[in-house]
Amino acid sequence: MAVNYVVFFICALICLLGATGVVFSRNPVHAALSLVATLFGIAVLFVQQSAHFLAAVQVIVYTGAIVVLILFVMMLLGVDQEEDIDEEPLLGVRAAGTIVATILLLGLLAVFFLQSNRSTLVTGERSVTAPLSVDASLDSTKGVAETAGPDNMATLGRLLFTRYVFAFEVTAALLTIAVVGAVVLARRPDRLQPVPDEPESMDDDFMAALESEAGH
Amino acid sequence: MSSYLPVLVLFVLAVAFGLLSLLVSITLSPKARSQAKEAPYECGIVPGREAPERFPVKFFLVAMIFIVFDIEIIFFFPWAVVFRELGGYGLAVIGIFAALVFESFVYLIGNGALEWGPRQRQRRAEIVSPDRTLTSTIRRVGAEGRPAALEPAALAPAAHHAPGHGDHGHGDHGAAA
Amino acid sequence: MSSLAAVLAQAAPGLTAGPAAAAPTPTITVPDIEWTALLPILVLGLGAVLLLTLTSLARGTVTRSGYAIYTVLVATGAMATAAPLWGRVHAWDHLGKWELSPPYGPFSAVAGAIGVDGFSVFITLLIGVAVILGALLADDYLRREGIDGPEYYVLLLLSATGGVIMAMANDLIVLFLGLETLSIAVYVLAAIHLKRVQSQEAGLKYFVLGGFSSAFFLYGVAMVYGATGSTNLVQIKDLLAVKVPTHNALLLIGLGLMLVGLGFKVAAVPFHSWSPDVYDGAPSPVAAFMASGVKAAGFAGLTRAFLLGFGQFASDWQPVLYFLAAASMLVGAIVGITQTNVKRALAYSSINHAGFMLMALQAASPKGVTGLLFYLATYTFMTVGSFGIATLAGRTGDGHHDLADYRGFSRTNPALAGLFVLFLLGQSGFPLTSGFVAKFGSIAAAVDAGSWHLAVIGMVSAAISAFIYLRIIVAMYMAESDTEAAEKAPKAARIKVPFGAGLALVACALATIGFGILPNGLNRVAGEAEPVLVKEPVPAAASGADGAGLTGLDLTTIPTTPTTR
Repeated sequence: MAVNYVVFFICALICLLGATGVVFSRNPVHAALSLVATLFGIAVLFVQQSAHFLAAVQVIVYTGAIVVLILFVMMLLGVDQEEDIDEEPLLGVRAAGTIVATILLLGLLAVFFLQSNRSTLVTGERSVTAPLSVDASLDSTKGVAETAGPDNMATLGRLLFTRYVFAFEVTAALLTIAVVGAVVLARRPDRLQPVPDEPESMDDDFMAALESEAGH
Repeated sequence: MSSYLPVLVLFVLAVAFGLLSLLVSITLSPKARSQAKEAPYECGIVPGREAPERFPVKFFLVAMIFIVFDIEIIFFFPWAVVFRELGGYGLAVIGIFAALVFESFVYLIGNGALEWGPRQRQRRAEIVSPDRTLTSTIRRVGAEGRPAALEPAALAPAAHHAPGHGDHGHGDHGAAA
Repeated sequence: MSSLAAVLAQAAPGLTAGPAAAAPTPTITVPDIEWTALLPILVLGLGAVLLLTLTSLARGTVTRSGYAIYTVLVATGAMATAAPLWGRVHAWDHLGKWELSPPYGPFSAVAGAIGVDGFSVFITLLIGVAVILGALLADDYLRREGIDGPEYYVLLLLSATGGVIMAMANDLIVLFLGLETLSIAVYVLAAIHLKRVQSQEAGLKYFVLGGFSSAFFLYGVAMVYGATGSTNLVQIKDLLAVKVPTHNALLLIGLGLMLVGLGFKVAAVPFHSWSPDVYDGAPSPVAAFMASGVKAAGFAGLTRAFLLGFGQFASDWQPVLYFLAAASMLVGAIVGITQTNVKRALAYSSINHAGFMLMALQAASPKGVTGLLFYLATYTFMTVGSFGIATLAGRTGDGHHDLADYRGFSRTNPALAGLFVLFLLGQSGFPLTSGFVAKFGSIAAAVDAGSWHLAVIGMVSAAISAFIYLRIIVAMYMAESDTEAAEKAPKAARIKVPFGAGLALVACALATIGFGILPNGLNRVAGEAEPVLVKEPVPAAASGADGAGLTGLDLTTIPTTPTTR
């Protein structure tokens, strides 16, 4: 029992420190690496909630691939470029960001503190507290993790291959499009510029070109 | 407690590996620091300018493709957990899925998207390309770093007459310009 | 605090000692895969994949126009497989010589993921037409621009697959995946003209904004799931029929976010700002497909999600659609007049058309759906025709789209100019063209539903938008007398019409006139293409397709009615 608390607080600390690092790092690569820490902390929190699949996705896709992609983009643009953080690219961005963040924080706190009368706050028939498990009843005395149990991944697999089998196969098409799109767009033509206008008459332009050539 | 043990072990291993790598690198690598060693090209060529682009776009392509197959793999996990229950049906479903994604791999190979180096170099070596034009000849000499947009528009149509006057040779035009 | 504490206080579960692991393995109900229902999707999707594989394995061996011919064949095949579905939906026992197998009537398949009804088959056919026309237009275009390759056709087919999936979606997740398949392919298509920076910019713009709107849609789906406990439209509908939520904020937020996502796809004001830039920058055949196929799919998604899934909430979303329709019609018409670029003007005209279609949809009545489908069908031909002319008139570089470039077009290319006039008049709703009947149907549906204010706005906007088309016609026919400007601007050169594009243009022209003079056939078909939500028959239960209880679809999840709470 105590382990859970310890794990939670350590991971929460990792998440928060990572997030702070993302915001305050001067070097973009350090910011990206801080993001890894945050995502990893979240992954552990997912494990704690018995959301093993989400934890795997978090580590394999987000930490493993997305952050790598972010780093690649930085390398493409050049890591040695330092951004002047004190300069606002758009006027009022910082103020707007602060306001939005404050509202978000207040909203989260509201959910947290007003949870006792959840039914009025979250209006749905089944709110996010419903477990994914096969035959777990909606027992409000138990938490998510207890009812879902460690067999979360299996439940997900069963659902994915029965009810959502069509959606699952469509995902493959989506991935194919991503590959084709990436290849098509990464293909660089010899020159990227507005295609010069077609001459309306070959002869005139030929003469014009000759003249301009002679003028040089 | 026990469920977190693997996580802890993994964590310790990861940290240990990182530290060990650093340690080995520090202790075993030869240290001969000098100005020449620190320079980008040890052979003595002085770099003309800072290289702003470190990576070619190909790296990004590879990263994109990596993500695609990463996501494919992710879907194998739930299947692997319940594949005994699903039996042949599950195998068929995941087989179709994998075949669809794998097919994009065929496309990648067929398009040479994963080819590096030689082919690119060959193409660049073709200094006298058959479709060389007046403009491209001029650009080759002393125009590096100049944005493509600066290319004089008036000269562009010259490309159209070049094939008709092929026997003139492009060098003449270049000299005239 | 309680649930957090509960989570924290959770006893560490052993890896094998969980209660679920000890339970006997539940039998998996393998969903009955109705292959015939999937055939249009399969033909389009596998056709694309096959093309991709074959061209990768044997690169450079494709003969001239091979890709386009293949694409046309695949799309025709998909439409041919959709035809028997139409017969089954309408309970015909045979189609021509073939006997049709039951189940008759609209049905839902693959664990309730897709629904086959007249509506989805109609949209499928429409998207097939858009693909054929898009391929025909692109064939010569891609060679002309030096960007020929299988990729355009592969992406076109995959995008159409996504559109068909959207048209058949009975589940919000499937709808979302269809939307993404459709969109991502079109993002790449918009940027496929690699030699043109405008095309790249259009692709990037469309991608960023489109990704944003997809996120909106997905967030909305999540909210709806939170409120109803399901993403399946049938289940949601059944749940809402039984239980009327008193606090439905979550559901309404979800609906609003979904509307933003789909409104973006159909370019409804105020989510339209991308469309002029993207239509202008994208290669013209792609713009034709965006205006026809993508729009049809977007409206299919709107209809399925809102009219079918949330029909009971019509009084909530109708006013929003009312506003969107009015704004789209007015903004599209008024801003369209000021455009000096033909493709941008066509983009604004397409926003105006989207307004008309939204007007039909907001009626939330069978007549409205008929009007919407009729409008979509006729509009597909008119807009593809218009962008087809722009494809040819753009000439190498695809950059000649200013009104000035169309000066003297009637003299140098009388046939093309005549066709363009036909398409433009059709779009303006000129009598004896299909556009007139379509606008009439849409306005009639709105009047029937009691929103005659909107109908008046529609008529006014139709009158205003006529100027968009008149400006282009004037530029083509009359501006020659303006000597000073005529001398400055280059004269439009004579354009050789390639076979594929010519075929597409003639087909569009025939459809525009044909449906204008004899609209009854199409109108009847559109009337029969009603959207229905049908539960999938439960394999074990004896109950019929319609009579299954609330838990009929529940294969493995929690019961729909929370009784234990």
